Amino acid sequence: MSLRLRLSLTLGAAFALIWALAAAWMLSDLRNQMMFSLDQRLVASARMVAGLMEQLPPLPSKGEGTHFSAEQLNIPGGMACQVSSLRGEILARSHTDPQQTLEAEKMGFHDQMIDGAPWRSFTLARGDVRITTADRQIEREALNMSILLAASVPVGVALLGCLCLLWLGIGQGLAPLNRMRDALMRRSADSLEPLQIQPLPSELQPLLDTQNQLFQRIGKTIERERRLTGDAAHELRSPLTAIKTHLQVARMTDGAARDQSLARAEEGADRLHRTLEQLLLLARVEGSLSFDDGVQCSAEQVAKLAIQDAASGDRQRIKFQLPPKISHAPVQMPAVLSIAALRNLLDNALRHTPGDGAVELSLETTGNRVQFVVRDHGPGIAEDDLQHLTQRFWRNGQSTGCGLGLAIVQAIVQRCGCTLHFDSRPDGLRVELTMPLQPV
Amino acid sequence: MHVLVCEDDELIASGIVAGLTAQGLTVEHVATASSARAMLKVAEFDVMVLDLGLPDEDGLKLLQQLRHSGLEIPVLILTARDSVTDRVDGLQAGADDYLLKPFDLRELAARLHTLLRRVAGRSVNLIEHGRLTYDPSSRETMLGGQPVDLSRREQSLLQALLHNRGRVLSTEQLKDSVYGFNDELESNALNVHIHHLRRKLGNGIVETVRGLGYRLGPADGAEELKK
Repeated sequence: MSLRLRLSLTLGAAFALIWALAAAWMLSDLRNQMMFSLDQRLVASARMVAGLMEQLPPLPSKGEGTHFSAEQLNIPGGMACQVSSLRGEILARSHTDPQQTLEAEKMGFHDQMIDGAPWRSFTLARGDVRITTADRQIEREALNMSILLAASVPVGVALLGCLCLLWLGIGQGLAPLNRMRDALMRRSADSLEPLQIQPLPSELQPLLDTQNQLFQRIGKTIERERRLTGDAAHELRSPLTAIKTHLQVARMTDGAARDQSLARAEEGADRLHRTLEQLLLLARVEGSLSFDDGVQCSAEQVAKLAIQDAASGDRQRIKFQLPPKISHAPVQMPAVLSIAALRNLLDNALRHTPGDGAVELSLETTGNRVQFVVRDHGPGIAEDDLQHLTQRFWRNGQSTGCGLGLAIVQAIVQRCGCTLHFDSRPDGLRVELTMPLQPV
Repeated sequence: MHVLVCEDDELIASGIVAGLTAQGLTVEHVATASSARAMLKVAEFDVMVLDLGLPDEDGLKLLQQLRHSGLEIPVLILTARDSVTDRVDGLQAGADDYLLKPFDLRELAARLHTLLRRVAGRSVNLIEHGRLTYDPSSRETMLGGQPVDLSRREQSLLQALLHNRGRVLSTEQLKDSVYGFNDELESNALNVHIHHLRRKLGNGIVETVRGLGYRLGPADGAEELKK
């Protein structure tokens, strides 16, 4: 059911009910007032007749043939008057009709049936006569009905008008909602363009704004994911291209050239392997998989294992400084991740230190945290590029890395409550990585 | 055919260079946009293979800028990005063809030949010159329906001449086309190869223009010494 129909029905029903009650109240009041007025008319008529009687000579005790004719007196139809003695003799009657005499035993108002029709009568005793006036209930009801009708037509028309206005007003009030609905129905399901609806009432503006912001955010997310997929495809296709190209060259050539091509194809396969490993690790770190294998490593062990894993051939290039006093508490995160994070930092440092230059690794424990500092002697990095460092697939110049190492470190840092800080100096990059330690 | 390969990935570049060389093309390799510019200034190339992800500049920008400054040789874009937008952008920037990594080396060579053919306004891949026909992709030379055995250098020389019908090529241009940059060259090597070409295809195949260089002889020149 549409909002407009529901609102119109609810409000219309309430409206009609209240108006009907008010009308019923008013009409019942009106009817009471009218009955009272008609009764008063009977009383007034009886008194008038009594006043006239006093001025007349006394009526003969047996007034045969002294009836006035109602037609002669021109008394309106439906009313009757009768004068009778205390003994019940009819002295005078306004009508020949009804044939039956009016009951005049009781004083005051009295409802009675005469000739099968209901009458209302009033009897007044004055001296030795009783004067009874009466009118027909049917006449009263007819009068009552015509008044009811006259009063209820304007009420009904007003009510109808109100309902019409209500329908139109609600439609008008809901128009912005309809505009919004139309705009939403017009757009395609995967459209992320902001909605343009003008004018919009202040209640709906925040809704539209939030909606548009949401569209914008979704658009950005999709764009980022698309770029990321593109980057990943690029990173996987490049080594694959190298492998394929060199294999084809190997088929075209022979001798030393062939051996060299095969060796280079192998180099490409190694690179593809590294990239895949890093992508998988990143996906696992960012996902919800558990890395906890129960192995606990102290900070020193983490450092030694990371050195072992980092660029195996260049191990002697890493200068490791172990302070004399160090906490032996295990790091409070999965050993795999702590080693991977530190190894990636070391790999990165080795890659950006030219020639056989050394890379320094030092560690320090304070309270329940351990800080690793990796220092290389490469060219450092421009201030503007610091923000890109942990971006996936970002590479500094012609670096041979796959562009995922620091992104993985960042993901591990976020997952395990570590901190990461880069400090670029003209003579190299200094990276501080702190990890939480288990309380001893 | 003298090819400039602009590719930053050293591993891929070495494969392309080796593969195209093995298929009889003369290849120079540069890894950055700036060295590509420098290379295009000092040497004549017939076609360029361009990777889009260069370290110092976006490949598309480089291409746009090169086209703007009057580069006319066909350019084939090599890229690992396969979205339609990327391809449309590449073609709009002035590329003539587009090849997605990983690709087939034979396909790359075939496409380069097709690009050259298109530039020369031929609809079939076969180059005809009088009684002489040359197929750049299979590198077969036929004279009057008989196959002629040509060395790789001789083929490159013949190709350079055929692609520049009616134009005089300087000794330097011919050397670029045939030997590329990196080969150590005997001073009379070009003369030796021209001599061999004349011996195999007839004296009229190459005309010497004194003080300027060489050009392809008239179409009936090959007729003359068909024996």
